[in-house]
This record gives sequence, structure tokens and C-alpha cells, in this order.
Amino acid sequence: MSTESVAGEVRESFASRTPLRISGSGGWLDAGRLVRAERTLSLREQSGITSYVPADLTITVRAGTLLSEIAAATRERNQWLPLDPYGSPGGTIGATIATGSAGPLSSSFGLARDLVLGLEFVNGRGEVVRGGGKVVKNVAGFDLSRLLTGSWGSLGVITEVTLRLYALPEVDRSFAINLNGSEKQITSLLRALSTAPISPFAFQLVSASISRALGLSEEPIGIMRFGGNSAAVKAQAAGLEQVANTHEIDASTWLRLRELEAGAHTSLRISSLPQRIVATASRILADDVNGVYTSIDPRRGVIRVVAGSTGNAESPSELAAGVVQSDSSELVFEKLPPELWAAVSPSVVSDSLSQGIKRAYDPHNILNPGILGDLN
Amino acid sequence: MTQPATRADSSAVAYSPDLSPRLADIVGSQHVLSRPSELLVYNSDGLPGYRRQPRLAVFPGTRDEAVAVVRLLAEFHVPFVPRGAGTGLSGGALADDIVIVGLHRLKKIISVDVENRRAVVEPGVVNLKLNRHVAPQGLLYAPDPSSESACTIGGNVAENAGGPHCLKYGVTLNHVLGLTVILPSGEIVELGSRVGERDGYDLRGAFIGSEGCFGLALDITVKLTPKPPAVRTLLADFMSVNEAAQVTSAVIASGIVPAALEFMDGPTIRVVEDSIYAAGYPRDAEAILLIELDGLEAGVAADLETVRRICSDGGARNVRVARDEAERMKLWQGRKKAFGAMGRLAPHLIVQDAVIPRTRLPEILETIHQISEKHHVVVCNVFHAGDGNLHPNIAYSADDPAESERVHRAMKEIMQACIDAGGSITGEHGVGLDKMGYMESIFPAASLNAMCELRSVFDPERRSNPGKVVPVHSCREWQAVPAARRAEREPPSLEAEPSRPVA
Repeated sequence: MSTESVAGEVRESFASRTPLRISGSGGWLDAGRLVRAERTLSLREQSGITSYVPADLTITVRAGTLLSEIAAATRERNQWLPLDPYGSPGGTIGATIATGSAGPLSSSFGLARDLVLGLEFVNGRGEVVRGGGKVVKNVAGFDLSRLLTGSWGSLGVITEVTLRLYALPEVDRSFAINLNGSEKQITSLLRALSTAPISPFAFQLVSASISRALGLSEEPIGIMRFGGNSAAVKAQAAGLEQVANTHEIDASTWLRLRELEAGAHTSLRISSLPQRIVATASRILADDVNGVYTSIDPRRGVIRVVAGSTGNAESPSELAAGVVQSDSSELVFEKLPPELWAAVSPSVVSDSLSQGIKRAYDPHNILNPGILGDLN
Repeated sequence: MTQPATRADSSAVAYSPDLSPRLADIVGSQHVLSRPSELLVYNSDGLPGYRRQPRLAVFPGTRDEAVAVVRLLAEFHVPFVPRGAGTGLSGGALADDIVIVGLHRLKKIISVDVENRRAVVEPGVVNLKLNRHVAPQGLLYAPDPSSESACTIGGNVAENAGGPHCLKYGVTLNHVLGLTVILPSGEIVELGSRVGERDGYDLRGAFIGSEGCFGLALDITVKLTPKPPAVRTLLADFMSVNEAAQVTSAVIASGIVPAALEFMDGPTIRVVEDSIYAAGYPRDAEAILLIELDGLEAGVAADLETVRRICSDGGARNVRVARDEAERMKLWQGRKKAFGAMGRLAPHLIVQDAVIPRTRLPEILETIHQISEKHHVVVCNVFHAGDGNLHPNIAYSADDPAESERVHRAMKEIMQACIDAGGSITGEHGVGLDKMGYMESIFPAASLNAMCELRSVFDPERRSNPGKVVPVHSCREWQAVPAARRAEREPPSLEAEPSRPVA
């Protein structure tokens, strides 16, 4: 299956004004989003590596390629794509980029938008468009790659992506950080960590529900990952030990943390100034609701609240929303039960620029209509 | 969606005699220039080979004045070019008989949040000035174009500027969190977020690097980076360009991400050493690499040994590590002022900015050498080798038509070689006027049309920096204009021709 075949399908839908639901592995189909589509256009067969020159540290892949397939191919050359979105590693790169998904590594390596060098997509008229390029630095023309990243398939069907890779670190070690103590003690520990001579690959604070699910503790803990040459990692591990009570944990913890979210019916992100998040972290983590997973990335300034099949997201999300004032934070819903979308999440594309772009790129509104809310 | 005619793509705009006095009412008459002699200094940017005479120049001194100016221009439907310090290297800030809106007076650092490592600045703040302002708090603003002592953050946003340290830290795009923008229509919009992460379309990302075509930023929220605890700068010199290129590829392939990895060839070394910016580079070398490593002390020391070994194994004659900050700054000065030093060679300088896959470096440098010999021109190569971002420069006299012609041909062949290698026509300088003619060789028609459509959403009348970036004939709506009416609107053919230096 080629880009041309995707373009052909979109052209047909354009002619008949048939709205399409764009899908990869289908992991996002249960996000409850109100997409009014009559047909599904699956990109899963658009899979495989188009080009990979390891010494350039770039890779071009078809949109349906699984993250796990990219990980396997790059690992063979001692490289990786440091993009670890929550959910299953069986998600496709196309969906990851289209949804702008990122995980714990993003506070060091950037969000999806920072790792995309270029992409190819089919717009709502069925035309094949390319943005960006295949080299690591590029300002030629207006930035269509950034525009498509995080557009949830509503401006174009992403068919191919070129990404920046990194060398796998020589050493990769992770630690659990004990968060026992009063609210004040925890806050001062977090402040000490933010100024300590460490530069972790990832750092998350997780609720007791997550600690238990990962089999690490009965209490909220911090988990931190260091990577680099052995001297750098050793020095950082020592630096961490000076300010915190820690023990080493298995690197597989990170994958298990991401996978906890597979099957969740609700997930949302509250982001704010990092120090404001730090100041509220201990209170948010203390609210332990079974089946609700709360994690905090203090460097990125993000609180994630996820509710699985047994959990009710109301309590922590209300708490978080109350602690972080709405004028100084942003709230993003990723998944919600379908009946809640319209009530809870207003359209995020109702401004005139977003509307103008949607109308220009998808004049008949056939690509994932409604996925980011209504146009008006 | 129907669009108004592309009248702004032509300079045949009827100016109301009221415009100049009304602008003066807003900013004060001393901040409106209309006499050709006063406007002369605004007729070029950092590429002096191109000249275009503006009709008027207006310099608002406050945000409110800037808003009022843009709204007045909207009321009169007058096209304009936003301009920062005019240090751009793509002819992007030139105004061909239209209005320049200069923003260098909007130079307030509005706020610095040390704890959360961010700052809010007005567009006219000079890059280095922001860096000096936050340095005492142990912070820095990472994008560091060589023009950092003069260029403005607003200009950096327009061009998505880079610099040597973008190899590790990323370009302007990766350091701007949010902006307040005034669209050419006069409407004010917030793009991105000052406090967190927003969903919806990444309009912030679309605006950065839009080269002044989408409106102008009134304030910019940037991310600040903690100063790395350890920095080591290493100078390796080589007796062959090829060895230095091979070493560059080997360092990148090793997986170490240097803070910077810069390349200067023999002609560049000697020009710099002859100038007031002499940095102590070995004059007899055919190439030097300036490699900087930063991070935590222990990690940097280990990487330094690895890089030193790669250089020596790759044929470096000497590898020298700067002993102190003063020596480090001196090594950097030679690199950062290299373009300036080339002013010694000839009155005009043409600079390219192509990017190639890093593994193709040795081969492309050899190709550039062959092209320069064929056309009897001297190419000085000084560039960001670590990310494959070439800057072949040719100093020449634009007053000599025969020489201009040779320079033009050589540059065209160099660009084509980079495109053929799978590269991009510009890594950090922007398309502007200079590289517009190459856009069709790297983007298919549908991509160029998608760019036209995006621009039309931000600026339906196409009044902001008209005639730049995307050739107007690539836009589908242009193709709908009857042929008889096109002639008066198509930019002069010189502009459509790639890298054509004009005196």
C-alpha cells in the first residue's frame, strides 16, 4: 500500500463527501472522541522503514510502522528514538505524531514536535504534501511538519515521517526515590532535586496506586533515569544519593509505567509553570484513589491523571484543577468517556486561524471531523 | 475560500498622501522616514548584494504604537515588511517600494522568571543582551546566531534562527513557548502558551520561521537554559579538508552530541587571522574543527577524551583544548566574526546555507572545491558541520558583471549538489528573496500551495512581507489570475532567479 493509494481513497471521499476516521493500530479509537465518520482509513499497512542511514542519526518510516519496530531496528545500530508516549509500544509512529504524544523522556529529548524533521501527508483534497525535509536542520518554507504534528489527523493523513535519532547511552540506570515525609519536606526535596548537579533523562513522581501497580512501594515515589557515559551516570547517581533516599530499579519500570495506561477510559494533562507544579505535587500525590493513576513530570510541568476501567477520575482531577488556578495552567483531555466530551472539553480549534487552516486543508471536513471539537 | 487578489505582490500600491502624517501622529515625526537619502541604510540587509529601496520606514517605540501602526496599514491596505536589526542573510527584510516597520525600539525585557527558567521579551531585544541579562542567574538563551550581538529575538523568531550551539540545544523553535502576535489585519492573537502545553494546532510552530509573512510578534515567551557546569572547547587542525570532514562524520556517528562542532577551511582561517578578529588559528592548516562539549564535569571529561582520540585517529595535526575562558572566547570570536572578516576580501559577500546529510560531508566539500576551481572563484567554507549546515561564502565585487556572473553560476551549482544529496536549501538563514527560486526544486507543487494557503490564513491580503519565501506563481489562486493580469503582479524576474546578486 502506497501513499498514492491513500491519496486515492481520500480523493474518492472528497468527491463523495464521505467523512473518514483515520486510524493506526487503533489505540486511540477508544479515546471517546466524537468523530462523525462513515468509513475508517487504516494506515496500519503503510508500514516499514523507507530509509535509515545510522551515521546520519535520522530515519524515515511509513506512518503505520510500530514504535516497537522502530525501537528494534534502531537498537541493532545502537541507536534509539527517544519518544516514549504513554500506552502500548504497539502504537504506530503516525498516530504518535498525529496526536503529538510524548512520555517521560520528553523533558530531556523534547516533545514529538521536536523530534520530527519532516513528514508527508495527504490533505483533505487527496493531494500529497511534504513539509520539512530529511536533514536535521531546515527552515525552507513555512513549517508544515509542526502544523501537522498534534493535529489529530484533521488537517491531513500522515503517510511518512522523518525523525531525529540519538545514540543509545553507554549506561542507562534508574532509581526509585523515597518521598516519605511531610508536605513541606517533600516540597523541599523536590526543590533540592531541581538544583542538584544532575541532568536526568526522565523524572516522574507517581501516586501510590502507580507504585503498587509497578510493585515498587505502597507509597508515592519518584522515579529517575540517568543515561550517558559511565562517568556521567556514576556522578549523577552519587549526586542524587546526596539529597535523596534512593534504591536502584529495573529499566523495564518505564515501559510498565507507560503500559499502565493501555485500556484507560480517561486521561488528562494539567500543565503549568514547573515550580507551581512542584509546590502542589505532594498534595496531589497524597490523594490516593484506587484505579486512578496520577503522575507528575516536575521538569516538564505536567500532571497526568488516568483512570482505568475501575477508577473514577473525578477526585484527583478536581483536586488538581483546584490547586492549579485555571488562568495559570492549561488543561488537555486525551481520553474521556464519549458522553463527557461535549460537556467537559470545549473545541480546541474554534479560533479563526485554526478554522481557516482546517477549511484550507480539508475543505469538505472529511478528515476525522469533530476530533478536536467543532469548528464553530 | 475566496481570496482577495494578490495585489500586495506588486509594488504598484496607491499610497494615500495621508499615510505618512498619520504614521507620524502615532510614533512621532522623527520616527518616520520618507526621504530616499534617509531610507538608503534600509535598502539592504546582511546580504549587501541585494538592494531594494523602501517607500517609507516607521519605527514604533511601544507596543501600543506598533499595534496602531499595523492597524493603520491595514486600514489603508498597505503592504509592509517587518524588520528587526536587518542582520538577516536571505534578503528577507528588504522592502521593494513598500513600508518597513522596524521593531528595534521595542527592546524591553518584560520579565524574567528565574525559578521556571523563562523570560518574556519584546521583539526588538538583542539576542546577546538577553543573554547578558540572565547570565548572573546562571541561565542562558540557547540559540546563538553569529550575529547575536546585533540581531533581535523578533528577527530570530521570524527566521527560526540557529547558531553553533543549536547542534545540541535546538533552534529558536525549540526555545519559544508562546507569543503574542499582531496579524496583518490588526487582530491580536496568543499563540502557544506562556504557562503550559496547549492542544489544538501548533500555531506557535507555524509562526516561528514564517519570515515576517504571518504578522509580527509583540512579545515572546522564551525558555531559558541552565548554564552547563562544565564546558570544554577543543581546536583540531588538519592538513586536508577531507580528513576534517571525515572526523566530523565520525564524531556524530559516535553518538556524542557536542554543544557545537564548527568547521573552517584554509581560506577562511587565513582571512580571519589577517583581521582584527585573529584567534590564533594555525595559518597553514587546510581545515580546523572547533568542538565544544558541555554538561556535567565527569561526563564532559570522558567525552573530551573520546573526541580527542577520534580527531587524532582521523589525522589531526594538533588537538588543543582551551585552558581558560579567555582562550575559549578567543577561539569562538574568530568563528563568530568570520563573515565580518571576509569584508577584507571584497565589497560584497554571498552566503549560502544549505544543509546536507552529515555522512555526505566529505563528498560535498570536494564537489564545492571542484565547482570553485571551474568558475575561478574562492569559496570560504565556515559552517556548522555537526548538523551538516554548510555556509560556502564567496567574496566578490557586485560591480563587476563578469565576476558576478561566475559567482552566481558557482553558487547555483553548489546549491544543486546539496539538493541532489538529499539536503535542504536553507538551515537557518531563511528563504527570503535569495532562495525563493530554489523552492520548486525541493517541494512539489502541492506543498508550495499548502504553504500559500497557510500564509493566506494568517494574512489574507498578503500584505506582510510580500513577494518572499514562496513564489507567487506556485499558489493555486495565482494560477486562477488571468494571464494578461499576471505581468503587472509577478515580481521582477531577477527576484525569481536563485542567488542572483544584484548591485
